[in-house]
Amino acid sequence: MTLYLRLAWRNVWRQGRRTLIIAVAMGVMMSFLVLYDGLIGGFEQAVYGNAIQLLGGNIQIHAPGYNEKIGRKPLLALDDPQALLAAAESQPNVVAASQRISTGGIVTNREGAFSVAVIGIEPEKEALVSPVAQNISAGRYLSAQDGDVIVIGQGLATAMNVTLGDRLTLVARAAHEQNRQRTMEIIGIYDVGVPSVEKNTLYLALGEAQQLFGLDGQVTEVVISLKQIGQEAGVISAISAAQPGYEMDTWVNSFPELKQTMDMKSSAMGVFGIIMLCVVAIGILNSQMMAVFERTREIGVLGAMGVKPGGIMLLFLLEGTLIGLMGAVIGALLGTLVNGSLAYFGMDYSGLADLTEYTALISGRIYSQMVPLKVLQHAITVLVIATLAAFLPARDASRREPAEALHHV
Amino acid sequence: MFQFIRMAYRNLLRHRRRSALSALALAVSLALLLFMAAFFKGEMRSSLEDTLRLNSGHLQVRNASYDPEKYSVAWQYLLDNPQAIASQIAALPQVAFATPRLLASGIVSVGDNSVGVQVMGVDPASAANDPYRQGLISGEFLSADDRSGIVIGAPLAAALQLKVGDSLTLLINTAEGAVDEQPFSVRGIFFTGSSTYDKGIVLLPLAKAQAFSGAGERASLIFIMLHDRELAPQVAAAITGPGFKTLTWVEMNELLVLVENFSNAYIMILNLIILGVTVTVIVNTMLMAVFERTREIGILAALGMKARQIIALFLTEASLLALGGIALGLLVGWALSAYFGQVGIYFGDIGISGMVLGDSIHPYLMGEDVINLTVTAFIVTLLASYYPAHLASRMQPVEALKAEK
Repeated sequence: MTLYLRLAWRNVWRQGRRTLIIAVAMGVMMSFLVLYDGLIGGFEQAVYGNAIQLLGGNIQIHAPGYNEKIGRKPLLALDDPQALLAAAESQPNVVAASQRISTGGIVTNREGAFSVAVIGIEPEKEALVSPVAQNISAGRYLSAQDGDVIVIGQGLATAMNVTLGDRLTLVARAAHEQNRQRTMEIIGIYDVGVPSVEKNTLYLALGEAQQLFGLDGQVTEVVISLKQIGQEAGVISAISAAQPGYEMDTWVNSFPELKQTMDMKSSAMGVFGIIMLCVVAIGILNSQMMAVFERTREIGVLGAMGVKPGGIMLLFLLEGTLIGLMGAVIGALLGTLVNGSLAYFGMDYSGLADLTEYTALISGRIYSQMVPLKVLQHAITVLVIATLAAFLPARDASRREPAEALHHV
Repeated sequence: MFQFIRMAYRNLLRHRRRSALSALALAVSLALLLFMAAFFKGEMRSSLEDTLRLNSGHLQVRNASYDPEKYSVAWQYLLDNPQAIASQIAALPQVAFATPRLLASGIVSVGDNSVGVQVMGVDPASAANDPYRQGLISGEFLSADDRSGIVIGAPLAAALQLKVGDSLTLLINTAEGAVDEQPFSVRGIFFTGSSTYDKGIVLLPLAKAQAFSGAGERASLIFIMLHDRELAPQVAAAITGPGFKTLTWVEMNELLVLVENFSNAYIMILNLIILGVTVTVIVNTMLMAVFERTREIGILAALGMKARQIIALFLTEASLLALGGIALGLLVGWALSAYFGQVGIYFGDIGISGMVLGDSIHPYLMGEDVINLTVTAFIVTLLASYYPAHLASRMQPVEALKAEK
């Protein structure tokens, strides 16, 4: 075996130029596959990332018993939100973790009554990740000291025919199934370009919400924003290991339609990726076959010298695997480099289509997704394809009559 | 020239397996490019078509001051004499049908549960309601003189655990700016294929909706479908009158058009990646072929073939390969798109709480895409072959002849 390995290694380098061409080609193809996966992840983040932030972050943590009564948005206080925050913030993939009070209510004025979700937030923390904070079209975002002021969406402002500084009556459910009513001043209006969402949600400062809803020092929800969609499961298991006994949900539970759309897209993308892999496989097969058939005479010499068909086959398989290994290494390096720089610098793709205007929810710049596991997976695939591709010509070669092969020009 | 083609053809045939595999790689890539284009086009088309059929129509006539975000039924926002306007419009030759509709916002409640909905008053006789009528999964559609019947979507029925014959309470905004509520009984439950849409809409007969909301004989809009939606701007220009405006489907669906542009950018980038893989395969095979045929090139050069001619020979070989690959790729891509275009790609198993969503995508291949992608594939193949061909032409005859067999 060592002998064959040594022979194979020498053979590979006897045709250094050819070996390099094949290995580089494999590497380039593999890095395209890595890039394809990375960009698809990046697009998901660009299209859905902001929407998920707007709808309540990647992960929501509630007190036990919440999901049973989810339709009523029960005001169940969390036992130890500080410990949850600490556990979340110790995870590298977590961008922000913040506390909320989330309840349902109605805002009214002369134009009518509108049912809304009322959310008390920590403004300083949410300002970093919230599309609401980044898309204030009039007035300002909340601050921690704010009292009876609210931030509402443009959709609601239009529907209620109100503007900055106007007052609205807010009736919302407080602890112990009581209703609280208060007149609130509009201090800011956000516009994310989706009136249906804007209409349904208004925000106030957490301190004010605690006081208004009778939850002094307590919160009902911890929301966590992650770097990338798809990292939810790992973060949840890490947090629940540290802080068991809470109900943790992802946007997947809360917004199955969104998940469904994404699943549909990614299953289609997966099929396209496999077809692309077929193209790669054909390319590898072709070059491996050429490499063997070019050496028919050499095979004849080996046969004439008494190397058994099995030995010839093993030799050629080993050569194929070695070249495949080189291709996989080049591909891993190149793929990580290209994909990594796209993940770091991002790519402005708006020039590729006449995206003259966006909703604030779709970002015009994508950051490719880096998943080391995917790179490894592709490297193994390339290695397997290279070996399989060498198998076919190797078998052919091993079956040649030495005398005939020697005559081959 | 003809001689080149004959030589190139023979050269390709001398390495059948290699030629076939190269052409196959190109064919698979092209088929993939075509199918992907068809897939996204089909997805876009179906969501656009659903929206037009169910929601916006090809054209809408509204009161000039109507604000679609408000669903207000105050008289100053509504159209007077909608029936007269609708029948005038329906008489135009390009118009398939035109029907008045009244929109209000409402809250459906059953027991302790309540859900916000859009209330749509429709003329039950109009063919514009066919998507709802054909989507009925139980019960029957409304009749014009029904005073207590309502038709709701399947997701709403599931959320509120309603079935045909059950009663519910509907609260809506009225013309005076107040609210009113009445009990209704469920006549039918429909499913149009889009669960998000079906969750948020209930249908009443127009006359009942007008009476209930205090809108009188007025309507929010005239819903118009044309025989050909591309005619919308012309027809819109023809429909004019004091105090109302006509909107086309393009104006009403700006977000959808935006998303289409976005997905075009997405496809463009993915296409570039697929083309990149194809180029790598072609360059790789051609390069290896050139090295393998060093002696042969040496003989050609020794026989007096000029560098230009050697390049031409290799490019001709590449063109022949490309033509073969493209022919196969077109066939496969077209067959796949046509097959799935008929059958549809079913995504129903990703349902919400066990409900079948019937959302399938029917790929749709556009002639424009076929031409663009085919021409691109051909040009890319030629470009990719240029470097190997150039390399072959630069070989010194004597050196090349000495090359190892």
